[in-house]
Amino acid sequence: MKNENINHNQEYKYGFTTDIENIKAPKGLSEKTIKFISKIKKEPKWMLDWRLKAFNRLKVSKEPDWQKPKFPKINYQDLYYYSAPKSMKDKPKSLDEVDPKLIETYNKLGIPLNEQKKLSGVAVDAVFDSVSVATTFKGELTKKGIIFCPISEAIQKHPDLVKKYLGSVIPISDHYFATLNSAVFTDGSFVYIPPNTRCPMELSTYFRINASETGQFERTLIIADKGSYVSYLEGCTAPMRDENQLHAANVELIALDDAEIKYSTVQNWYPGDKDGVGGIYNFVTKRGACRGKNSKISWTQVETGSAITWKYPSCILQGDNSVGEFYSIAITNNHQKADTGTKMIHLGKNTKSKIISKGISAGKADNTYRGLVDIGRKALNSRNYTQCDSLLMGNKCGAHTVPYIKNKNSSSTIEHEATTSKINEEQLFYCNQRGLNQEEAVSLIVNGFCKDVLQQLPMEFAVEAQKLVGISLEGSVG
Amino acid sequence: MLNFKINSNEIDNIGNFNAKEKEFRLKNLDSFNKNGFPNKKSEDWKFSDLREIVSKNFKKLDLKLVKTKVQKINFIKEFDHNYIIVTNGELTSSNFKFEEKNKIKVQSYSNNSFTNKQEENPLINLNHALSDKGYFLEIKENYKFKKVLVIYNLYTSNLNENILNCKNKIKIGKNSELHILEYAINHSKKNFFNNIYENVILEESAIYKNISIYNEKSFGYFHKYSSNKLDKKSSSTFFIFPSGLKFNKLDLEFDLNGENSECNLQAASYLNYDDHQEIKTRINHFAPNCKSFQKVKNVLNSESKGVYQGKIFVKDNAQKTDAYQLSKAILLNDSSEFNSKPELEIYADDVKCSHGSSSGNIEEDSIFYLMSRGLSRQESIKLLINGFLSEITDEIKSNSIKNFIVNKLEDQLHEHKKH
Amino acid sequence: MLVIKNLKASVDGKDILKGLNISIKPGELHAIMGPNGSGKSTLANVLSGKVGYKISGELKYEGKNLQEIPIDERAQKGIFLAFQYPTEIPGVNTSNFLRTSLNKVRKAQGKQELDALSFIRIIKEKSNELGMDEKMLSRQLNVGFSGGEKKKNEILQMKILEPNLIILDETDSGLDIDALKIVAEGVNSSRTDKKSFLVITHYQRLLNFINPDFVHILSDGKIVKSGSMKLAEDLEKTGYKGIK
Repeated sequence: MKNENINHNQEYKYGFTTDIENIKAPKGLSEKTIKFISKIKKEPKWMLDWRLKAFNRLKVSKEPDWQKPKFPKINYQDLYYYSAPKSMKDKPKSLDEVDPKLIETYNKLGIPLNEQKKLSGVAVDAVFDSVSVATTFKGELTKKGIIFCPISEAIQKHPDLVKKYLGSVIPISDHYFATLNSAVFTDGSFVYIPPNTRCPMELSTYFRINASETGQFERTLIIADKGSYVSYLEGCTAPMRDENQLHAANVELIALDDAEIKYSTVQNWYPGDKDGVGGIYNFVTKRGACRGKNSKISWTQVETGSAITWKYPSCILQGDNSVGEFYSIAITNNHQKADTGTKMIHLGKNTKSKIISKGISAGKADNTYRGLVDIGRKALNSRNYTQCDSLLMGNKCGAHTVPYIKNKNSSSTIEHEATTSKINEEQLFYCNQRGLNQEEAVSLIVNGFCKDVLQQLPMEFAVEAQKLVGISLEGSVG
Repeated sequence: MLNFKINSNEIDNIGNFNAKEKEFRLKNLDSFNKNGFPNKKSEDWKFSDLREIVSKNFKKLDLKLVKTKVQKINFIKEFDHNYIIVTNGELTSSNFKFEEKNKIKVQSYSNNSFTNKQEENPLINLNHALSDKGYFLEIKENYKFKKVLVIYNLYTSNLNENILNCKNKIKIGKNSELHILEYAINHSKKNFFNNIYENVILEESAIYKNISIYNEKSFGYFHKYSSNKLDKKSSSTFFIFPSGLKFNKLDLEFDLNGENSECNLQAASYLNYDDHQEIKTRINHFAPNCKSFQKVKNVLNSESKGVYQGKIFVKDNAQKTDAYQLSKAILLNDSSEFNSKPELEIYADDVKCSHGSSSGNIEEDSIFYLMSRGLSRQESIKLLINGFLSEITDEIKSNSIKNFIVNKLEDQLHEHKKH
Repeated sequence: MLVIKNLKASVDGKDILKGLNISIKPGELHAIMGPNGSGKSTLANVLSGKVGYKISGELKYEGKNLQEIPIDERAQKGIFLAFQYPTEIPGVNTSNFLRTSLNKVRKAQGKQELDALSFIRIIKEKSNELGMDEKMLSRQLNVGFSGGEKKKNEILQMKILEPNLIILDETDSGLDIDALKIVAEGVNSSRTDKKSFLVITHYQRLLNFINPDFVHILSDGKIVKSGSMKLAEDLEKTGYKGIK
């Protein structure tokens, strides 16, 4: 595992690896591996039992195959399910004890863990391969009663909350990758916002896969108690490797009465090279439950990375008057494939949902929006508005829209609109005439096309996301 | 639960077939027997679980049907027309008194193209295995019909838990034009199942217009698969008014194979009771500069269920495609349901493709406006429903046919009101 | 500044410009008038480098062959086209766009790029000069602008980018008299002995306010007559049929 590589590739600037000693679980998926993970995490028995239950379920379930992008068979026995920097074995008490190489890695990624160099008011939990390496601003948050810590720590310190909510939105038996995650999840973030509390800063987790042949399986659980508010950001990168790496995370959100959760993702896992070699398989299950009345969950995602992306951040609108939102930008270039969208399940009365999806396809990529809007018989006076726009660059790529729309009562309204078009030549000409070159013009127009989604992102992320939009499409217009 | 398996003897009961045809029929029968009626596990039947519907409503499905005497038909008097009469799927008579006879060929249809293509739809398998009736209509090159052709589809009173498997084919030659009104008349008071397979071929610059409507409610359970192939510069236009059946699934596929071909499909229906209706369209843009347009409108009352599945596929070379699709539904009752899946699959970049789908109730503001002008709530709703559906009928060019259709639709709406 | 000799241009095999000659010196303002379909907009597009035209003949700007230079570099070298129908670009903020554009041009000309504050100062000053509502600058580029607003926005960009060769493609069409005066004032206040203008128009209206040095009549892809302002006045009386 000594493969410090220097890379000269401009397109994916996060493609470096960090040379660091690791502790790994035995290769392969088995009860032994699960027990190893549970033990190293010092987990209580109930947690191990929960994992084993998931593992037993996994044995009888099959990988889903209905998605558009197909992928070569994954050999689950050929993966490491746990990898952690050796220096983390006895978890550092403070940042001073963190391996300087790790801190350096995060600085390279533009994520300073040092609180003096804090990102403007963002608390960061950094997850490196399988473990959380540092969580910033803990003290300030604790004062307000907010819990923001690695989920492994929450299992030990806040077992009641974890027991009550873990798996309550994504059940163990949900589908293959969710079940796999339940059996082998390693770390991730846990957030609890107490009643009537507005989280004073953005909370953020930064995921990094470093080790090779390693799958990353984080688990994130966010609970917003009555009348609370939290905005949460997630970012991800990985080194450039010519093997495919699996990332199968589960994210569960729970919003109680009058609570609001805003969850933003900028996903920039390594997408593979120009010829489609390597890259991350990003098979993620994200689901939020608006359990309380007047609650709100809003998903915003900018998906530019990964070789294959399958994810459908969803909202179950149980509480009356609850609101679900989904804003998405998915950019695929070269050989990337994305099949992404959302599910809005309306159960409560007067529930509202909004879906804005922007898909951009270039090179030989394939981009699919797949979504479900289901307004139940009892969800009276509910509304959905959906808008899916696709932009195609070149005729070797594909854009697909597959919405499922179900309306089961007469007082509810669903509106769905979708368009597919190419980048407008007149717009390019106009920008060129004002001195912008082709790539700048494309970046500008595409950013304009995505504006409705970009403006949903918190400021710090919006700037990064805008740049990413440009970078992801480099070389796509001849 | 009805276990509907068919013995291979049934094929011999239909007729004597050569080895090739027999093999084709047996193969398809095997497929059907293996899968049975499709259920919602199959993506195409996600919203219409036919296995459940058939199980619930049929005790048996009888393949044998005693032929009845020629029935008297009340011909349409509102406009001059040619006609053919199809009784329980069988071609029984034809009359082309307004046309040049040598330009038209009409006969009972027997299949003679036995492809090896493995059909995924069990109902197509069933039809391929057992079809024993239908018609073949061919219009030679350079001939434009002077009057509309009415196809009277008659369903007789002796139908009782029968299943009909019909195969029809229409071929329109180069530069020719044909307008058809498909008009169904029902005398049966019992359940029956009609499984139709249709093939429509339009040669270069051919024009085809088709309007279909059911005269009265029936206990028919219909499935129709229609394959339409369009050569360059040809155009096909469909106006579908499909209400009136207990179950109806129209599975319509259009291959725009030639440049500058276009298809236009519009449907309006009013569903009531526990009617279940699905329209499924698949438009394949295989050539550049083609146009397609679909507009599907549903009004759903009581426990009825409406489904629209529409897919637009654009191949990588089909540049300058112009494709538009819209489905709209009004739900009048909290027990009614509308499901849709408007799908785009696009591989060419210089295209204009869009779809829209909406469902909801009638705007209270509109009702309020009309009531403030002196109409009752019921009258206001009726007026608004009429307005909603007339967007489709208004597109029919011939005034006499338009009026005919509008009156039939009025009857349908009125009929439902009485109950 | 600009020398065009025997310029021919065709689109999809259809000849539009059929041997056009014109020469513009620094400080001069030339007007080109012509009926619909005479090739006016094609000339503007060809000068700015729009793709899709098959071109032959000589096209020289400041001594260099223009044909080898892509659109954006022409803009950076000081060629500005005020569009007849400015394109709407949804989601793109007008003010941000202008700043990006200006800094591209400045950078190419070896000038320092402007920071946000100094840019805002300039843009405010210029938009006030043109009597433009500042709110327009925070809207999406040309989206939902009225015809007049779009044209004013083009003039604003002309003022800010400080180009050397300015081509106005029927900027006067569809404007009321007040907007027309603002456009004319924009042109007049920009005139120096270094800048050249090529004003393409249908009508004499605009020319009354800007006093062209030369007036040319374009018909069927060629300049059929050249002269002074008097030519435009004659044209107004006799129509295009009278000239030939």
